[in-house]
Amino acid sequence: MKNLKILSYSRITDDFVSLNGDLILCRSASDEPNDVAKHWFSEIYNKIGMEYPKFFKMDRLCKAGTLAAELVMRSLNLVNDSVKENWAVLCFNAAGSLDDDRTYQQTIQTKENFFPSPAVFVYTLANIVSGEIAIRHHLRGESSCFVLEDFSAPMISRAFEDALDTAEFVLGGWIEFDKGHCDVLLCAVGTGNEAELTDFSAENLISIYQKKY
Amino acid sequence: MDQLIEELKKEIIEVLNLEDKKPEDIDENAPLFGGETGLDSIDALELIVMMEKNYGIKLQNAAEGKEIFKSVRTMAEYIKEHRTK
Repeated sequence: MKNLKILSYSRITDDFVSLNGDLILCRSASDEPNDVAKHWFSEIYNKIGMEYPKFFKMDRLCKAGTLAAELVMRSLNLVNDSVKENWAVLCFNAAGSLDDDRTYQQTIQTKENFFPSPAVFVYTLANIVSGEIAIRHHLRGESSCFVLEDFSAPMISRAFEDALDTAEFVLGGWIEFDKGHCDVLLCAVGTGNEAELTDFSAENLISIYQKKY
Repeated sequence: MDQLIEELKKEIIEVLNLEDKKPEDIDENAPLFGGETGLDSIDALELIVMMEKNYGIKLQNAAEGKEIFKSVRTMAEYIKEHRTK
């Protein structure tokens, strides 16, 4: 049995961003309560000094996932141009790509104003977020996205363990954006003997998911 | 023409989500594709939609697009000549 550890994890919610349990940024309570993505994702992007122009073209689900992945990979000193053959990407959420689907629907809603947007259309699949993360970090292993009824630590941990039969590391987790609200727990998991690292288990996933910071 | 060029720069920033760019960052004579703006094929499709939506211009020929989208200035010249709204 492999000694699987959570090597690093990030949380992005409507209210805060944290990395390995440490607070990175808090959102102002008065800032667009019904649509956190309007300023929040750009604020996070600027705060962490990210330089990735493609970010601005992404839909909101991909922005949330890309920011969370950036934090994790930075903490592991792995934001570089090296190809990582043995990294899998596994993402989970409940809403799929509904947020972008709705935006796309608006572009084709009426005959009089029927202008389907190609840039919006390309994000009308939930698994685009795992692809965007894989592209950004040159991860060449398995890449998948699963739509669940709700956050399920047992399902996520089971899928991670299965992927780790062949991959050396997995980057992924819960990436949800729907109706103007986000909820992300992203982690990097692999084998490790360092005592200070958290064991990878469903119980520990629940614990870090519920922890504020 | 200058007014149309400025209007186009703002529209390009908006429809292509170039949040990190300001109108003054875009050189109207510089290549739109393969240059500093870093636009891709999806952006080209988005510009085609924008031409139809905002100016009533329906591009039929892909080869024509290559010439029109050379720069903001070539876009503006084409729009000035062919706009229906």
